[in-house]
Amino acid sequence: MFKLNLKIAWRNLWKNKAYAAINIGGLALGLTAFVLMLLYINHEESYDSWSPDLKSVYQIREKHDFFTPDNKEHWQDAVNSRMAALVRNNIPQVQAVTKVDQEWDWNNGYSLKVDNANPVMVKKVKDADSSFFKVFDYQFIQGNPETALKSPKSIVIKESIALKLFGTDKVLGKTIKIVIWRSDPGQLMTITGVVKEPKTPQSVGFNAIMRTGDKDKDPENITNSNYCQVYAKMNGAIDTALLNESLIKVYVNAKKASFAQQKRNFNDYYKNGKLPGLKAVQMEAVHANPSLQISWKDKLKPIIGISIFLLLVSVINFVNLATAQSVQRAKEVGVKKVLGSYKGQLLMQFLLESALQSIVSLFLCVILVEMILPSFNHHFNVNLSFWYNPQLLMMIFQLLALFAFVTLIAGFYPSWILSNYNPVSVLKGNYENGLKGIALRNILVVFQFVISVTFIIAIGVMYQQTQYVSNKDLGFEKGNLINIKSNYEETFAERLRKIPGVKYIATTTQVMGNAFNVPEEITYKDSKIPLNTVTVSIDALQALGVKVLQGRIFAKEYKQDTVNSIVLNESAAKLIDKNAIGKMYDVKTEKNKYSFQIVGVIKDYHNEGFDKAVLPTIYKVTHLGGTSNTNNLLVRFDTENSGNVIKKIEAEWKALYPDYPMSYTTMSNAFDKVLEDNKRFMNMIILFSVISVSLSLLGLFALSTFVAKRRTKEIAVRKVLGASNIQIVNLLNKSFLILVIAANLISWPIAYIIIKKWLEGFAYRIDMPVLPFIVATIVSVIIAVLTVSIQARKAAVTDPVNALKYE
Amino acid sequence: MIELKNIEKYYATKGIKNYVLRHVTTTIKQGEFVSIMGPSGAGKSTLLNILGMLEEPTYGVYEFLGEDVTSLNERKRIELYRNHIGFVFQAYHLIDEMTVYENIEAPLLYKKVGSSERASRIANLLDRFNIVAKKDLFPNQLSGGQQQLVGIARALAAQPSIILADEPTGNLQSAQAEEIMQLFQQLNKEDGITIIQVTHSEKNATYGNRILHLADGVVKDDVKI
Repeated sequence: MFKLNLKIAWRNLWKNKAYAAINIGGLALGLTAFVLMLLYINHEESYDSWSPDLKSVYQIREKHDFFTPDNKEHWQDAVNSRMAALVRNNIPQVQAVTKVDQEWDWNNGYSLKVDNANPVMVKKVKDADSSFFKVFDYQFIQGNPETALKSPKSIVIKESIALKLFGTDKVLGKTIKIVIWRSDPGQLMTITGVVKEPKTPQSVGFNAIMRTGDKDKDPENITNSNYCQVYAKMNGAIDTALLNESLIKVYVNAKKASFAQQKRNFNDYYKNGKLPGLKAVQMEAVHANPSLQISWKDKLKPIIGISIFLLLVSVINFVNLATAQSVQRAKEVGVKKVLGSYKGQLLMQFLLESALQSIVSLFLCVILVEMILPSFNHHFNVNLSFWYNPQLLMMIFQLLALFAFVTLIAGFYPSWILSNYNPVSVLKGNYENGLKGIALRNILVVFQFVISVTFIIAIGVMYQQTQYVSNKDLGFEKGNLINIKSNYEETFAERLRKIPGVKYIATTTQVMGNAFNVPEEITYKDSKIPLNTVTVSIDALQALGVKVLQGRIFAKEYKQDTVNSIVLNESAAKLIDKNAIGKMYDVKTEKNKYSFQIVGVIKDYHNEGFDKAVLPTIYKVTHLGGTSNTNNLLVRFDTENSGNVIKKIEAEWKALYPDYPMSYTTMSNAFDKVLEDNKRFMNMIILFSVISVSLSLLGLFALSTFVAKRRTKEIAVRKVLGASNIQIVNLLNKSFLILVIAANLISWPIAYIIIKKWLEGFAYRIDMPVLPFIVATIVSVIIAVLTVSIQARKAAVTDPVNALKYE
Repeated sequence: MIELKNIEKYYATKGIKNYVLRHVTTTIKQGEFVSIMGPSGAGKSTLLNILGMLEEPTYGVYEFLGEDVTSLNERKRIELYRNHIGFVFQAYHLIDEMTVYENIEAPLLYKKVGSSERASRIANLLDRFNIVAKKDLFPNQLSGGQQQLVGIARALAAQPSIILADEPTGNLQSAQAEEIMQLFQQLNKEDGITIIQVTHSEKNATYGNRILHLADGVVKDDVKI
């Protein structure tokens, strides 16, 4: 019986090849998007699950406002290094605590040099204290985890790095010279261990963990702090909530003691809702809750939504085609019923048929996934694989679940309709029952088109916003400007200035690609205003090519500029005074009061993504009130042919710092990088919309064929009564056109709400445009009419005799 | 074998009863070959559908093999289909996606007949109807008469005690029709299968041994030949 049913299913698929192909192909596409997303989710979920020991490991987070993009307090994984000792000494359940460098995006890594080989830049080389491997249970191929970091100047490397540098993993006792910045004389590290790459990705990823000795102690001066990551391993599983309660108590006490030592007032510092905070985050939750960045779960939300919709569109196609096709199968149902088949048996037969189709789709989907994965990996900067996935078993289980789900959801309704056919009416040749489920079919078509039209509108708005952003005046000249990843040093800068073609050499803490904000509160005419402070070298603003709105920018001619001049940006000027030039303001600290004079106002220039508003900022050259610096060395060329000049700069660099390769980025690249995320998102939306629109159209095409077929007799009668071909085509079009227009009306408000939300994510955005809405409607109507007309015309031109003589 | 007592069937439209069958009372014994005749709209097919339990009468009692089957549940009805009733249709109603062999095999599968028994029964039927060579063809590759032969073979496969045929020769040319009717006569006489057929043709009716004349839902005449 089963075999026969399978045979019939196969013969039916073969008979309706085109529709089967649409069904199966569509489902395979929908499934592929879904499976790719599943792979990605599995990958992200698997972070920090490589050892059962990690269940008792916690990341310590502190609430503070350093290094934040908006100068507000956030829970951060970069914590004061003193927290390690605090946790170790005050929490009884602690087994081990370790301090380790946090990761910097801007950091290009350290230069690793083996003997006389060329130096190699390696990322994720982190400095830690001796307890790192007591907290993180890595598997050592060489060396001993107990003693690996016992003595300073030792280093533990991953297997892959050992192979890359030495060509073998038998490297115990060998030395590597590590150069941390360009003029660093370098430190010789002895390899004391080689660890295996764990099965799943790690939040505390590294290529090498070294112990320079810097992490062993905290700064002696109480006002100085170092920031690093702190991880603690507990004795078995403990209640995180309780742990956090004791952490906050310990933290407040420590803060009070520290403030008393510094003669500062604790209550004065923590006011206006500012609260002290220290907490522990379980290792398995760390990756899903990054500090300062958006969690992958939130990033993925729109994509999850889109791929579910895509899967729905293909499932709807499946349901629609199957129910429409059911007319053809009615006779079989009737006959089988009088031959003695139970309804349940028929239901199973038709479910088997949809199972057959979904298993073929699933097979196709696996092939598609394999084909798409390389570009998917490239696009999302991950390294996923299907067959070599460590969670292959889990994946297969998920696929089976998906298969069962799709089969049921796509197959159940049509099967149920079919198995319910009444044998008498069917065997009499009365197929009016084929009209069953027409309302549902219409609803499903509307639903499909709502999704497609929403996609089309979204593309339109996204395109306009992207155009707006990429053509937006940045407030600085991004051409002919590069940023070398290096600190600013006057003698080196002077040497570079001598190179012909170089116009300015400068540094700033605020430039696109690497902005670093320092909050400061100023007092102007007795009112206190929070602002962002940026330290620049004297010709940095010229180098950037900012636009001066009032007054002047810094220049060597003005001696005052190195004493107490400052320049505001437009946003800051709005907060302070419209005519700010020449005015003075103060910065008060516990002990001192510094006065500054405003000499100029510049137009706001962008230094972050367009989702963030430019902060009200003060630019200063003077050391008064403290300075900050970071690894930006701006080089402005006065020639278009910058390639040669860069070569000369590199030569100069190499002569001075042979152990540390130079790396730089052009400002145009930095700008593209800012736009990259959105571009990626838009490309994906475009891809998904094209798929969803074409699936919907295929579905409509197939459906209109069936409708035309079902109405053959009606069409024939109308023709006999004198209807023209055009009238017939219109007749068929009308029923679908109403659906498409209804879908448009529904999708307008939906698209409006979604897009509004998306646009609100940008500090700089276009007003909600009307054009995409109109265009989407016109486009959807035109293509729907074209699709239906092809079938309608076919039905219209057939000879009515053929249709009428039957029976 | 069949007892019909005061069978009535009507459809109510807007409160008006449209009678299709009125006061039909008759008995059909094992081994009879009954032809139901009458003009279009007389209720012939409805009567046959009621006999085949495809429709339920509005009033009246229907006993099949001594059992009241006026309103049966699906499971019991299907048991009767599997074991006692074979249907033959005017439009043959073979399943297009199945070969001749598979079409004949289908009722045996539902009846859960073992595979060797199945094979021998089908071989017998194919042999008897001279369609062995056609067993791997699909219905649309056969002529109308051949399709109806397969239809009858299918109806016989489950070895029913009664065959219900709704104008079995209505779509056939006269030579083929004659062949089919002779086959029915033979089945009735040699195998003792009860046959009830609906027909328009006087000639076809003469192959049987009893004719029920129906007009406007009422049995006008019950003639034994």
